Amino acid sequence: MSKASVFYDKFERHSHGEGLKGHATHYCPGCGHGLAHKYLADAIDELGIQDRTVAISPVGCSVFLYYYFDVGNSQAAHGRAPVVALGHKFANPESVVISYQGDGDLASIGLAETVATAQLGAPITVIFINNAIYGMTGGQMAPTTLMGQNSTTSPSGRNEYNGQPMKMAELIAGLDGPVYVERVALYDAKQRIKAKKAIQKAIKLQVEGRGYSFIEVLAECPTHLKMDPEATEKWVKECMEPVYPLGVKKDVTVDPWFKRNPPCFKGEKLLSLAGATSEHPERFCKGFPTHLAPNDISLKLAGSGGDGAQTAAMLIARASINEGFDATHIPSYGPESRGGTSYADVHVAEEEVLNPGSPDPQVLIAFNTPSLAKFGPTVRRGGFVIYDSSVVTEAPVLDPSIKMFPVPFTGIATDLGKAVVKNIVALGALQAATNIFPKDTMLTAIRVALKDKCALIPLNEEAFAWGIKSVEALNQ
Amino acid sequence: MALKERPKPFLLPEYCKGCGRCLDACAKDCIHLSDQINPLTGLVPVELDLTNCNACGLCMDACPEPYGLRPAHEGEIQDFELEDPAKIFGVKPSDAPEPVDLPSEVLPLPRTEPLVIKGTYASALGALLAGCRHVYGYPITPSTEGAELMAKFLPKLDGTFIQAVSEVATVNMMYGTAGAGLPTMTFTSSPGFSLMLEGVSYMIGAELPGVFVNVMRGGPGLGNIAPEQADIKLACHGLGHGNTRAIVLAPATPQEMLDLTMLAFELSFKYRNPVILLGDGYLGQMTGKVQLPETMIKPGIPKWAVYGDAMHRKNVITSIFLTESDLEAHNVHLNAKYEAMQVEARAESFLCDDAEVVLIACNTPARTAKGAVQELRHQGIKAGLFRPVTLWPFPVEELKAAIHSAQRIVVVEASAGQLEDEIRLALSKAGVRQFPEIENVRRMGGVLPQQSEIMTRVLGRKEVLA
Repeated sequence: MSKASVFYDKFERHSHGEGLKGHATHYCPGCGHGLAHKYLADAIDELGIQDRTVAISPVGCSVFLYYYFDVGNSQAAHGRAPVVALGHKFANPESVVISYQGDGDLASIGLAETVATAQLGAPITVIFINNAIYGMTGGQMAPTTLMGQNSTTSPSGRNEYNGQPMKMAELIAGLDGPVYVERVALYDAKQRIKAKKAIQKAIKLQVEGRGYSFIEVLAECPTHLKMDPEATEKWVKECMEPVYPLGVKKDVTVDPWFKRNPPCFKGEKLLSLAGATSEHPERFCKGFPTHLAPNDISLKLAGSGGDGAQTAAMLIARASINEGFDATHIPSYGPESRGGTSYADVHVAEEEVLNPGSPDPQVLIAFNTPSLAKFGPTVRRGGFVIYDSSVVTEAPVLDPSIKMFPVPFTGIATDLGKAVVKNIVALGALQAATNIFPKDTMLTAIRVALKDKCALIPLNEEAFAWGIKSVEALNQ
Repeated sequence: MALKERPKPFLLPEYCKGCGRCLDACAKDCIHLSDQINPLTGLVPVELDLTNCNACGLCMDACPEPYGLRPAHEGEIQDFELEDPAKIFGVKPSDAPEPVDLPSEVLPLPRTEPLVIKGTYASALGALLAGCRHVYGYPITPSTEGAELMAKFLPKLDGTFIQAVSEVATVNMMYGTAGAGLPTMTFTSSPGFSLMLEGVSYMIGAELPGVFVNVMRGGPGLGNIAPEQADIKLACHGLGHGNTRAIVLAPATPQEMLDLTMLAFELSFKYRNPVILLGDGYLGQMTGKVQLPETMIKPGIPKWAVYGDAMHRKNVITSIFLTESDLEAHNVHLNAKYEAMQVEARAESFLCDDAEVVLIACNTPARTAKGAVQELRHQGIKAGLFRPVTLWPFPVEELKAAIHSAQRIVVVEASAGQLEDEIRLALSKAGVRQFPEIENVRRMGGVLPQQSEIMTRVLGRKEVLA
């Protein structure tokens, strides 16, 4: 072995591997990236994980990471490498995913992804190359540029109007998600050995399923710092290190926890989650309720959030579909989840609901005065209006062909001890007023909906019966 | 005790950039910069004089180049002339194996009674049946129920649901999972879809599958949470930067939310490209009858994936083609793929055979329009409905057939004419110059066209505006 086997024998992706480019990186002389690459390759080699490794190339000078590493490679958009890494990690929890990023990528455009991924804590390894400057775009100010440091976008030196340098290792170490955070440097032999060890440890923690680790590497960019490589090493030591102190920022002992089973593809399991059953529901209808409409009945249920209009609407739709008809239910809520307006458009059709909206319903169930006032006038001639007479004291005058059914939904439900069943009282009233389906159709739908709360079935049956009785009393 | 002998350094001057980082690393002063420029590189390399070398290895640790200072092993040439690198390093760049497709399996499901579920739920079930076990998302009304259902179901299926920090993170998690070769999807709504477009462009560039369910709401900006169809332009012509296209499916019923989500996964893997499912706010919330299919999918791993195992080690997922000719060739390849996608055009024509008035609509407005067609037929007017199921590619052949006897075309939509633009563009590209003047019923801002408005338009030929 003349090299770490984790590098390709020939860099074919680098200008098609032609000439010297087949064995030389694209980095400038003295660049810190090459060293970080070598230590990463050594770590992968020593841990024996080459086949399992997925390296995420970022945007920045290390955009071409995939030219060099003979591992699975994925190239990410600017700043998105850590979340691409998560996508790979969850796809194959056995893979070892390394997000390799520069300072513009990680600490500027990808800050949200960086912090959120660190806090999520899933075992991936982030290698962060901090060289205090944008390299690929040509020497602009980075989030890590030092105060007073010149760059093409801070030509007279970074000042307070450009903000302060981002201390990523400290920021990440302050989160609960990561298990290991260290800042290392490359400027002398001692630091290089520490850097090598830190990278290896960070990956090992991932291999063992212990958690997220983050290694910040203070690296040299001689080209854009406009110094020779030796002077750049000195600059990192003397200027960068005081701002970005080296050392372990976080190292917690965590037992391996990241163990995931392979996904389940059992049909029965999926069907049972979906609530699908092969049991044929009992049918009670002799045919479509053509006494209401030839093939499509339009209903509207309107009230306040919490009145149960949506549940009642859903039960009508379910009852209809159980009978082999088609049905739709469109809820429309006010901006508040509770206490706002809550309307439901329902259609029951013999074959196919064409238009699921109910701008001019044949049946209106109104749970309060504003709903009745708003939708009462939209009800078709010859239609039905069923409303809660416990709360509506004065009904509007509608077309005389419309049949009005004042039923004390709330009063009955309260007498039964549970105000929430007022929507079931309303369904009973609907049943008696319109004879839309046989009683058992609605009752079956109610029982099925409550199959996980069986204790509530008798109360709901009673509420339904009272709704029917109230309408029958009106009809007498 | 005999020390294990450590190798001394070895350097091909052609692979030295002369950075000099090794100079300081050597305590024995064995390394010096040459006084001559290397004619092949134009750089000044270092020279080694290993007389005093104790093989400490620190110079090699200091060299940033993988093929720079390296350990010289026994028998290795120390004195050399530049030879063909293949002779020194071998001809194969890697010993990684050649990957093969691990095909997906179609598994039978027992016949079940229809479910009564919301459009978003139907779509979520469709995704699960299509084999998707990795869902990422960010909550946004009115699509959130789909994500909520996934958050509930996926842990029970040993799948993954992650609520991302943003839509930007969402699409890039999808990029990762898709890059690993697995089916992945998200639920979003218009403002969230806008944010995802960067990632969609990258996915198209890197040829990654993925399904985006966009339950469209009112815009622009924060707009509102009511239904609109104003992302048609975005999905058909604005998928981020560059030469991007994706199949755009427009369901009209909860049943289609399931069926077309399943189809979306199939097409997305068939073409290695994202697929967009455009619903509207009503469709996402609408409950209806949904019949489950009789088969489900257990996905395999395609040969191009970067799964993170030995079989797929040689692969790379990237959208970079640095050399102009390479990128042009990639675009030619993408164009060929877009051309091949034309066969996926789908449409429904309802009573169009003899129709004199053809309504054109998609999503929920198509159902309203269907109601209007029936009503117009009752009134003796020969009306029909043409409903594009794919908005891109636009089913222009089906459209041509549907309007063959049309004297009037009325486009019904909840946008300022984005569907009409697709129709005009498709007819123009197909060279159709003769067609009736296009009339419209348009609502915006979260209001869907009403059946009464369609009737007024057709019967009264009056402008119908919000």
